Amino acid sequence: MTVLQRHNVKITGSGERAMVFAHGFGCDQNMWRFVAPAFEKDFRVILFDHVGAGMSDLSAYDPGKYSSLDGYADDVVELCRELAVRHGVFVGHSVSAMIGVLAVKKAPDIFDDLVLIGPSPRYIDDEDYVGGFSEMQIHELIDFLDSNHMGWSQAMAPVIMGNADRPELGEELTNSFCRTDPEIAKRFARTTFLSDNRRDLDGVTARSLVLQCSEDVIAPQAVGEYVHRRLPNSRLVVMKATGHCPNLSAPEETIAAIRAFI
Amino acid sequence: MGDESHSPGAEEDLEDLFDNAPCGYLSAGPDGRIIKVNQRLASWLGHDREQLVGRRFQDLLNIAGKIYYETHFAPLLRMQGFFNEVALDLVGQGGHVLPVLVNAIERRNPSGAVRFIRITVFNASDRRRYERELLEARRAAEAASNDLRELNLTLEARIADAVEQRIQAEEALRQAQKMEAIGQLTGGIAHDFNNLLTGIIGNLELLDTRISQGRLNDVDRYIVAARGAAKRAATLTHRLLAFARRQPLDPKPTNINRLVAGMEELIRRTMGAAIEIEVVGAAGLWTTVVDPNQLENALLNLCINARDAMPGGGRLTIETANKWIDERAARERDLPAGQYISLCVTDTGTGMPPEVIERIFDPFFTTKPRGQGTGLGLSMIHGFMRQSGGQVRVYSEVGQGTTMCLYLPRHYAGKDEADAPAEPAEAPRAGAGETVLVVDDEPSVRMLIAEVLEGLGYAAIEAGDGRAGLKVLQSDARVSLLITDLALPGGMNGRQLADAAREARPDLRILFITGYAENAVVGNGHLEPDMQVVTKPFTMEILARRIKDLLSGG
Repeated sequence: MTVLQRHNVKITGSGERAMVFAHGFGCDQNMWRFVAPAFEKDFRVILFDHVGAGMSDLSAYDPGKYSSLDGYADDVVELCRELAVRHGVFVGHSVSAMIGVLAVKKAPDIFDDLVLIGPSPRYIDDEDYVGGFSEMQIHELIDFLDSNHMGWSQAMAPVIMGNADRPELGEELTNSFCRTDPEIAKRFARTTFLSDNRRDLDGVTARSLVLQCSEDVIAPQAVGEYVHRRLPNSRLVVMKATGHCPNLSAPEETIAAIRAFI
Repeated sequence: MGDESHSPGAEEDLEDLFDNAPCGYLSAGPDGRIIKVNQRLASWLGHDREQLVGRRFQDLLNIAGKIYYETHFAPLLRMQGFFNEVALDLVGQGGHVLPVLVNAIERRNPSGAVRFIRITVFNASDRRRYERELLEARRAAEAASNDLRELNLTLEARIADAVEQRIQAEEALRQAQKMEAIGQLTGGIAHDFNNLLTGIIGNLELLDTRISQGRLNDVDRYIVAARGAAKRAATLTHRLLAFARRQPLDPKPTNINRLVAGMEELIRRTMGAAIEIEVVGAAGLWTTVVDPNQLENALLNLCINARDAMPGGGRLTIETANKWIDERAARERDLPAGQYISLCVTDTGTGMPPEVIERIFDPFFTTKPRGQGTGLGLSMIHGFMRQSGGQVRVYSEVGQGTTMCLYLPRHYAGKDEADAPAEPAEAPRAGAGETVLVVDDEPSVRMLIAEVLEGLGYAAIEAGDGRAGLKVLQSDARVSLLITDLALPGGMNGRQLADAAREARPDLRILFITGYAENAVVGNGHLEPDMQVVTKPFTMEILARRIKDLLSGG
C-alpha cells in the first residue's frame, strides 16, 4: 500500500502550484466538495483522508503514532514529499489547521501559504488563555465517548457497521460523506481535544490566513485572535458565516477569502 | 352547521397534530436558530416554547453532543441534506437528560438556498434502556463464555485435585477405622488379660496361704493353674505382636517340605473325612529362613479357612514350589525380584468376590459368623510374611475355590543346617567363677535372672538402667557377659549400652532380652558375633541355655 493509497489521495486541477486540503475531526475530504473545485483552474488540488477517516487504510491506524498531532503532521510531510509538493498552499480545517502548522515546521519548504479555518492550538481554557472549553467539559466529552458511541445507538453501532441485511442503515448513519470508525473517532477526539500546540505557533514563517467564523462553538473568536497574534506573518478574517464549518455552510465566502489571500 | 362548529378546521387540526404528535418537532432557520417548536418537545424539556425560540438546536445538547453535532452531524446535514436516527442526549430544564433519536432534513427553495431545517425528535429513553440491558446481557454472556473456557482449561488440574482430596479423605477414613479397631482390640485385650491375671494372682495367693499354713500336699494344682494362665497370656501377646509385625521371630533355615510333612497328620484330623487332602512337595525345594513354629501356625490357619470354605466337603491341596520372581512379577507382589519358595493352599470351596479379596488382610475383617473368627488370622499371616521378607497372595473365583500362596525368600547357606536338634531337657551347668552383669529396670526380672545365674554357678552384678550398667563396665570389675533389656529408662537403651560396652571391652559377650523384636535396634536379626537375643516371656531353661552358649562359645 503506497502513501497515496493509504490516504485515499485525489488529485485534480491543471495548475502548477499545489494546494493541499486537509479535513478536520469528524468527516473526510468530502468537507471540501463545495470549495476545492473553485481552485482547480489555477492549482494542482490535492485532497486526502487522514488515516482512520473516510476511505483511508484503517489497518494503518497506529494508536501510538496518532495519539498526538505530530503523527498526523508526519503523514502530511510524507504525502507532500511523495507528490513533490514545494512552496504550495495548505488549507486546513479545524484540527488540521494545527496539523499544517506542525507539518510546515518539520518541512518549511513544502508550504509558503497556510489557510487556517477555525484553528485552535488548545481547546481547554488555561489561566488567561481562552480555549472555549473548561477542563471538566472536555473530560465529560471523553468519559461520554468511553461509554457511548456518539451519534448512533451504542448497541446498534457494531451491527450497523457490518449489517449486510440492512445496508441502508449503514448508508444513512455513516454514509459516504462521513464514514468513521467509532473506536478511531474516540481516539481522534481524545488527541484533538487534549492537544496543546500553542508553542508550535512560534517560529512559523509561512504567510498565514486565519479564517474565523462567528459563533463557532468549537473554536471561539478569542482563539482565532490568539492564533493571529502568535503568528507574525498572519492575517485574520472574521467571517459572516456561523458555526464551525464555513466550507460547507458558506462556501462562496470561504472561497473568496482564500482567493483574496493568495 | 353543527358539524362545522364541532369539527376542527384544517389549520386547527394541523396545529393540534403538530403540538401533540408523539414526537418532538422543531424548525430552524438557515443559521440554525429555532423558529418554531412543538408543545411535545417543550414539555419533554420542561421549557416554555417561547424560551426555546431563538436558541440553536445544538444548544440543547450535552457537551459531547454539541461537539459531535458541530463536527459530524451539521456537516452531514449540509452535505447530504438530511440525517436520520442520530442518537443524542438532550439536556432539559434543571439538567435532566433525555435520550433521543434525531432526524433532520433541509428544506431548500428552487434556487437551492436553505429555507429552513426540520428536526424530528423521538423519545428514546426506553430504547436506550433496552440497549443497555442488551449490552449488559452480551457482556455477561461473553464473561460466562470466558469463564467456561477457563473452566475447561483447568478441568484436568481440578480433577486431579479432587481425586487427590478423595484419596486423602479415604486415607483419613481408613486411619479412623484403624483407630476404632485398635480401641476395640485394646479393650478386648485388657479384658482377657485381667481374667488371666486374676487367675495367676489368685492361684499365687492360695499357694502362699497353703505354704504359710504348712499344707504342702496338693499345692501343685495352684502352680499348674497359674502357669496355664500365664502361658495363655503369653500366647495372647504373641498374637498381638504378629498382627503388629513385631512378634519376636526365631527364624531358622527351614525345609518347608519337611515342615509340611510334619503337619500332615494334624491337618488331616482338623479337616475331617469329607475333605480329601493332597500334598505336593516339589523335589529339590530350596531352603528358606523362617520361624518354623509361626509358619506351622500360618499353614494350619490357611487350612482351617479352606475347610470353612468347603462346608460340603471338597479337596484341599498343599503344594510347594521353587519360584523365580522377575522384576515385573516382583513389582506386582511388592517384593524384591529373586528366588522364592512358595507354599500354596488351594481349596475347591465357595471362593470370594473381588470386594472381599480386597479386604481379607485388613485386621478384624472376617466373613465368618460372629464368634467364629477373630478376623486377625490372615492379617497375622500377612504381618508374619512381611516380617519374614516374603509375601502372601490370594487367587479366588466365586464358586471355583481359593488359592492362598505364601512366598518366602530362598536361603543360600547349606541346607543341612535346617531343623536344629531339639532342645536338651536339662539346663547346662558350668563355668564357675565368671561374672555376669544384669541390666533391667524391672527388679523381679533382675532377681529371676540373678537366681538362674547363681544356680548355674556364675556371680551376678545388677544394674537398674543403662548408665549404672555402663559405670560397672567402665570399672575394673571382671565381667564375662552382659545381659540387658533392650528397652531401658534414662535415655540409654540396651543397644546403646552394648555399643558403649564393646568400646571398652571389645570381647564382651552380650545377651539382649526383649519384649518384642525391635528389628532396627538389633539389626534386623543380623547380630554381631557373640550377641544373642532372647524374647520375653522365656523359661528359665531357655535363658540358662543361651547364657551357657555364649559363655562356652568364646
